[in-house]
Amino acid sequence: MSDKVKNEYKKYWRSIEQLADNPEYRQKLLSPYHANQEEQDSGLSRRNFLTLMSASFALASLAGCRRPVEKIIPYVAQPEEITPGLGQYYATTMPFGTSAIGILVHTREGRPIKIEGNPDHPSSQGATDFITQASLLNLYDPDRSKKVRHRGTEDSFDNFISFWREQMTLFAADKGRGLAVLSETFSSPTLNRYRNEFIRTFPQAKWVCWEPFSDENIFRAVDRIAGQGLRPLYHFDRAEVILALDSDFLLYESDAVSAARGFAKGRRVLTTDDRMNRLYVVESNFTVTGAMADHRLRLKSRRVGNLVMALGTELKKLGLNIDGIPETSSTVCGEKWLSALAHDLVSNRGKSLIVAGHRQPPPVHEMVIKLNEALGNIGATLTFRKRHETAVPNSEALNHLATAMNDGDIETLIILGGNPVYNTPANLKFNEALTGIKNSVHLSSHVDETSQLSAWHIPRAHYLESWGDAVSSEGTYSVIQPMIEPLFGGYSDVEIFAFLATGLDKPGYDIVRDTWKNLLPDGDFEKKWRQVLHDGLYKSTPLSDEKVSIKNTAISPDDIANTDNEMEINFYLSSLYDGRFANNGWLQELPEAITRLTWDNAALISPATAKRLRLKNQEMVKIEYKEHTLEIPVWICPGNADNTIALPLGYGRTGSGRIGNGAGFNTYLLRTGDCHYFGSGAKISKTNKIYELANTQDHNRMEGRPIIREATLEEYRRSPNFAKEMVEHPPLKSLYPDHDYSKGYQWGMVIDLNTCMGCNACTLACQSENNIQIVGKEQVQKGRELHWLRNDRYFIGDIDAPKIVYQPVPCQQCENAPCEQVCPVAATVHDSEGLNNMTYNRCIGTRYCSNNCPYKVRRFNFFNYINKLTEIEKMAQNPDVSMRSRGVMEKCTFCIQRIKTVKTRARLENRAVTDGEIKTACQQVCPTQAIQFGNINDPASRVARLKKTDRNYELLAEYNVRPRNSYLAKLRNPNPRLKDYKDETG
Amino acid sequence: MPEDAPLIAGHPTFGDITDQISGITERRTPPVWYLALGAAVSLLMVLVGSVGYLVWEGVGIWGLNNPVGWGWAIINFVWWVGIGHAGTLISAILFLLRQRWRTSINRFAEAMTLFAISCALIFPAIHVGRIWVVYWMFPVPNQMGMWPNFRSPLLWDVFAVSTYFTASLLFWYTGLIPDLATFRDRAVKKIKKYIFGALALGWRGGNRQWRHYELAYLILAGISTPLVLSVHSVVSTDFAVSILPGWHTTIFPPYFVAGAIFSGFAMVVTLTIVARKIFSLENIITVNHLEKMTKVILLTGSMVGYAYGMEFFIAWYSGNIYEQFVFINRAFGQYAWAYWIMIGCNVIVPQLFWFRKLRTSITVMFLASILINIGMWFERFVIVVTSLAQDFLPASWDYYKPTIWDISTFVGSFGLFFTLFLLFIRFLPMISMTEVKAVLPEADPHNYRHGDRHE
Repeated sequence: MSDKVKNEYKKYWRSIEQLADNPEYRQKLLSPYHANQEEQDSGLSRRNFLTLMSASFALASLAGCRRPVEKIIPYVAQPEEITPGLGQYYATTMPFGTSAIGILVHTREGRPIKIEGNPDHPSSQGATDFITQASLLNLYDPDRSKKVRHRGTEDSFDNFISFWREQMTLFAADKGRGLAVLSETFSSPTLNRYRNEFIRTFPQAKWVCWEPFSDENIFRAVDRIAGQGLRPLYHFDRAEVILALDSDFLLYESDAVSAARGFAKGRRVLTTDDRMNRLYVVESNFTVTGAMADHRLRLKSRRVGNLVMALGTELKKLGLNIDGIPETSSTVCGEKWLSALAHDLVSNRGKSLIVAGHRQPPPVHEMVIKLNEALGNIGATLTFRKRHETAVPNSEALNHLATAMNDGDIETLIILGGNPVYNTPANLKFNEALTGIKNSVHLSSHVDETSQLSAWHIPRAHYLESWGDAVSSEGTYSVIQPMIEPLFGGYSDVEIFAFLATGLDKPGYDIVRDTWKNLLPDGDFEKKWRQVLHDGLYKSTPLSDEKVSIKNTAISPDDIANTDNEMEINFYLSSLYDGRFANNGWLQELPEAITRLTWDNAALISPATAKRLRLKNQEMVKIEYKEHTLEIPVWICPGNADNTIALPLGYGRTGSGRIGNGAGFNTYLLRTGDCHYFGSGAKISKTNKIYELANTQDHNRMEGRPIIREATLEEYRRSPNFAKEMVEHPPLKSLYPDHDYSKGYQWGMVIDLNTCMGCNACTLACQSENNIQIVGKEQVQKGRELHWLRNDRYFIGDIDAPKIVYQPVPCQQCENAPCEQVCPVAATVHDSEGLNNMTYNRCIGTRYCSNNCPYKVRRFNFFNYINKLTEIEKMAQNPDVSMRSRGVMEKCTFCIQRIKTVKTRARLENRAVTDGEIKTACQQVCPTQAIQFGNINDPASRVARLKKTDRNYELLAEYNVRPRNSYLAKLRNPNPRLKDYKDETG
Repeated sequence: MPEDAPLIAGHPTFGDITDQISGITERRTPPVWYLALGAAVSLLMVLVGSVGYLVWEGVGIWGLNNPVGWGWAIINFVWWVGIGHAGTLISAILFLLRQRWRTSINRFAEAMTLFAISCALIFPAIHVGRIWVVYWMFPVPNQMGMWPNFRSPLLWDVFAVSTYFTASLLFWYTGLIPDLATFRDRAVKKIKKYIFGALALGWRGGNRQWRHYELAYLILAGISTPLVLSVHSVVSTDFAVSILPGWHTTIFPPYFVAGAIFSGFAMVVTLTIVARKIFSLENIITVNHLEKMTKVILLTGSMVGYAYGMEFFIAWYSGNIYEQFVFINRAFGQYAWAYWIMIGCNVIVPQLFWFRKLRTSITVMFLASILINIGMWFERFVIVVTSLAQDFLPASWDYYKPTIWDISTFVGSFGLFFTLFLLFIRFLPMISMTEVKAVLPEADPHNYRHGDRHE
C-alpha cells in the first residue's frame, strides 16, 4: 500500500481514534473516582457498565473497521450508508486461472461474511461452485503471511522497493537478460497491461505463465485448428445429446458453474411432455459428471484418444464427412455402445455436443473439434470466443525456464503467485533450481514451500482485499473491488505488477481506474465507472462469437493411440483444487464428491484391480513411477477404470499452515513432465501398513429402500406417479392434534434429484452462512462432522458398472416432528410457519432428538468446537446466526435468519413477501437450481407448483412425520438402442 | 401350609438372631473389609475422575457419534435401574404375596436397590451435553415461565425413577426402624447411641407402635408394588415412544420389567452368595432361599427369551422393511457378537435352573448370576446401539466404539455401588432381624411345626 493510502486511512478514522485516545475520556474510564459513591459501592452499576461497554465498542470497532478507503458502490439501494445489523452486498469478481466468476459479497459492518453468485454476471448467474464459497475463509486464514521477508527475516516493503529499483537499473542495460518472471495465468486487463509494459521494458526477459492444471491443451488445439487466441465456449443448454470425454465439465473444468446451469436447463423435467438431454460420459475415474450420465463408460484416460478415433470411424460409416481423423479398427468399447452413441449423435446434428476434458492432449481436442464440426455443432452448441487479456499457460516455457535456471542464465526470478516448488513437475527439481538463483522474489499469501526457498517474500492480498479486474471466459469485463482493507497488510496483484513494470508504487485503485479509462467508451467516465463498480462488471461488454474455419490438420495415430496394458496413473483435482486451498478447513472437511473422504487424499483403484492386487481399503501402498516413489493409502472406488491409479492433487503440503500441513499425501512427487495428467507404467506394491482415512459415509448402498427414487424417462412417461407408488402405507393418523398450517407463510422446500449433481456447493454455502464449525480429522472419523446439509451418495447397480445417485439431506422440517416430542426441555419446537426451530440456549444436550430423527440431520457439539476459532476467524462468522457452544444440538433452520430479514423488510414496506425473495443459502448457491424454497401456502409459488408435480415425493412419509422438504424423483434418459445393455468397461 | 425345610436353619432363638446380625457391625472391623473398601473407593475415585473430566471436556470424550447419540451411559442407566428392581420386588410384592422366605434377603436386596439406583441416576445426569443446566428437566419455577415438555419420555423417566427411589428409600428406612432401635439399645459408645437413637425415631417396640408400624409397612408395600412395574415400563418408553425401528415396540414395557427382575435377582444372588459366605450367614440365608431366587430367574429369563422371539415375529409380521432389517441385522450384522452374547447369557444360561441339582449348586448359581448380568448389559447394548447405528438412511450409518472414558465411567460406577454397599454392611443390619424373627417358630403362637394348626 502506498503512503498516500496509509495517510488517508488514518485520516478517515481520525475521529474514532480521537474518541478512543482522548485522554480525558480515558482518564474518566480509568479513574476510580469518576462515579459517585453509590455506584462504587454496588460494584458494576448500570451506568459504569454502559460506560465500559461503549468504550470497548469504540475500541473494538477501531480494530474491526477495516473498510477500504476508496469509494465502492453497494449493490443494493442505500449506497454509502451502513446500518449496523443490516448486511450489504457488493459486487466483485473472483479471478480463477484464465477465467473468473462474478460474485456478490455479503458484508456486515465492513466484514465480508458470505459470497454469492452475481445474478447479472454470465459466469455465475447467481450461483457459485464450492471453491468460490470456501475462498471466503482464506481471507480470514490466520496463517497468512503478514510481513515482507528477506532471506528468512522480516523486512520492509520499502527495502523491497529499493531492491527492485536497483534491479531495474541493473537490468535496463541488458534489456532484461537474466531476468525472468513466473506467473499464474490470468485474464485481466490491468495485469495484462503491466505484463506487456514489463516485456516492453525488458524485452530480453522471460515471462512464463504456468498452472499445474490448466486449459493449455485446449488452447493449443484451438490455436492450431481454429485460429490463434480463441477459446471454446460450450452451450450445454442447446445440446440434446452430450458426450463428455474425460471431462468433469459440471465441476472441475473451467466455467463449471455456467456449464452446470446450461446443462440443468436441458435436463429439467416437470411434466411427461418435457424434453430431457442425454449425457454420455467416458472417463477413467468417477466424477460428478459421470454420476449424472445416462450412459457411462469407464475407460483409461489414455484410451480416450482411441475411442475418439473409433467414434470418428463409426460416424464416417454413418455418412458423416470427417477429415483428418485416423482410421482405427481397434475397439476400446462394445461395438453396440459405440454404434448407439454414433447414431444418437448423428440424429441430433447441430443439437449435440462433444467435449473433452482439460487433461486430454491437444490432438484429442483437435479431433473432438473436427467431430463437432462434422456434426454441425460449431456455431450451435460450440462457439469460439476471443481470449481477452489472457496469459496462456505454457508448460514448454516452464521447462525452458527450469533449464535456464539450472544453467545459471537467470539471475533474478520473480514468482508471482503459484507455488512452483510444490507443484511443478517432479523431474524439473524446481526447488534445487530455485536455490541456485541469486535473487528470487515470491508473491504469495503464505510463506509456503516456494517462499521458504526464495530470497524475497511479499505477502499477497486476498482478492477480497484487492483492486483488480478480470475477464471471464465468455468475455465479460469485470472489476475486482476490495471489501476490506488488507487484514495482514498484503499487496495486491495489480500493485505488484505495476510496481515491477514501472518501478512506481501506486495504489491499486488508481491502477485499475487508469486501465478502465481506456476500456470504457468515451464520455462521462465517472458515471460509467460508478456503474461498473455497482454492477461488478461492464454490462455492455460486446460479446460475440468468432467465425472460425476449422483447418484440416494432420493427426498421427501414434500421438494418441494407446493399447498397452500397463498400469495407468492419472492425476485429478481434489477438494483443495491444486493445493492452493490446502489451509482451508472448510475444503479439507468437505466430503469429496465420490469417495466422501475428508482431510486426506488416497490412491483410487477399482474393485477389480484391488482384488487382483489383493489390496484393502486404507492399506498403504508404494507407487513407483519412473524414478519417483510415493507411499499413499488406497481407497477402492467402484466405477473407476481397471488397472488405473487415480491420484488427487493438492495434499501433503508442508508450507501451507496449521490446517493443511500434514493432511494427506503429496502426489506431485509422482507427477513428471511427460506424465502431466496421466501416464503409464506405474508399479504398485504392498507395504502391509494401514493408514486410517476419515470418511463421512460408511455405507454406500441403499439396501433396496425407496430413498432416492429413480426411473428412466420412458418409465416415467408410462407411469408418471412412479415415485409415490414406490411406497404403500396405511392411512396416517397422529395421536396429537395437528397444528394449523392453513394461514400465513408456510415454508417448504423441494429438491430436484434430477438436476442435483452432488457438487457440494450447498454444503459449503450452508457452512459459510450458518457458522458451522469444522471439527478435524479425528472427529470426522468418529462420525461427528457438523455439516447441516449432507449430501448422501449411493452406488447403485453392478459393482463393475455402478451408477451414483446423490441426495442432499437438510433438515426436512417435519410438520409432525419426532424430535420435538421427545425433547424433555422443549428446546426444539414448532413455529406457526411450519418450521422446526432449535432454541440453542434452552438445549441441554440429551441428544434424544437426534436419535429420534429418521433422517439423522441433527448435529451435536460434542466438544466446544468454537473455542478453536482464532480472533481473525471469528470475523468470518455470520452475526445473524448464533454460535453454538459445547453440548448443544444444532441443525438446518431453512436459514431462518434470511427469512426473518426479508419478512422484516416486507413488513416495513407494508407488503407480503414475494415468491423467490427469500433464498436459503443452499438454494442460492446451487448451480443447477435444484433447490427451491418458498411459501407452500401460496399456490402460485414455485415451490408449491413443484410440490404438485407428479415426481414429487416425501422421504419416509410413511412414518407420518410430514416433512416440509420433498424431492423430485431422479430420471435417466438412456438410449433406447441400449435397452437392457450393461454399460461396458473399456 | 407345611414347608419342606425350616426357613432359618439351626433353630436359633430370637437372641441368637440379634447377636448374629448385630455382631457383624459390633465386632472389630475385619481386615478384609478394609481391603474391599479400599478397592471400592479406588474405583469410586475412577468414577469421580471420569466424571470430572467429562464435565471439563464434554461428552465428546465418549465414543458417541452422529447416528449413535446414546451409548454406554444410557445402557448403564437402564442396566443399573434394572438391577434396582429386585429389592423392592422382594420387599413389596413378595410381602403382599406372603412369601415368608423373603425376610432373609429383603433388607439386603432393598439396600442393593437403593445403591443401584444411585448408580443409575448418575448416568442420565452426566450424559447431557450441558450438565450445568440439567435441572431444567425438573419442573422448577423460573423467570421464563417454561415448563419441561411433558410429552418427552425422558421427563417421565425423571419422575418415574425419582419416585421409585424415594419410595424405595422410605420403604427401606421404615423396615429398618425396629432394627435401628435394637442397635441403639445395644450400643456401648455414647455417640453411636445418639446416632442410632435419632435414626430409630423413638422406637420402643410397644404394641401401638407395632400396630402402626405394620400398617405403614403394608401401605408402603402397596405403594411400592405398582412402582416396581411402572419404573421400568417408563424407562422402556424412552425407547418405545420413539419412531426408531428396534425401539418402537409395544412389547417393551412388560419385557423390560421381566428383564429388570431377571437381572435384579441375579445381582441379589451374586451378592448374597458372597455375603453369606463371608459373614457365615448360611443358617439365615439358606440354599433354600437361593433356590427360590433361581426359580424367579428361570421364570423371568424365559419371559425375556420369549420377548426376543416375539420381537422377531412382529418384525416379520409388520411387513415394515426398516423393522425387519433391524432385527436381522442384530443377529447377523456388525453387532452380531453382542447379540449372541445376549442370547447365550439371557436365554440359554437360565435354562440350567430347570435342574434341581444345578439350582442348588452355589458355584453354578454364582457363575450363572454373573453371566446373566453380563447378558442383561448386552441386551441394553443391543437395543440402544444396534438400532441407532443403522436406522433409516444407510448414508448416515456408522459404527460405535466406546472409549476408555466410557469404560472407566462404568467401572467407576461399581466403585460407588460397592462403597455404599460395604458401608451398609458395616454399619447397618444387613438382614432384617425383626422380620427374620417373625418367621422363626417362636414367633408363631400356634407353633405349627410341633402341634396342630388352627386356620
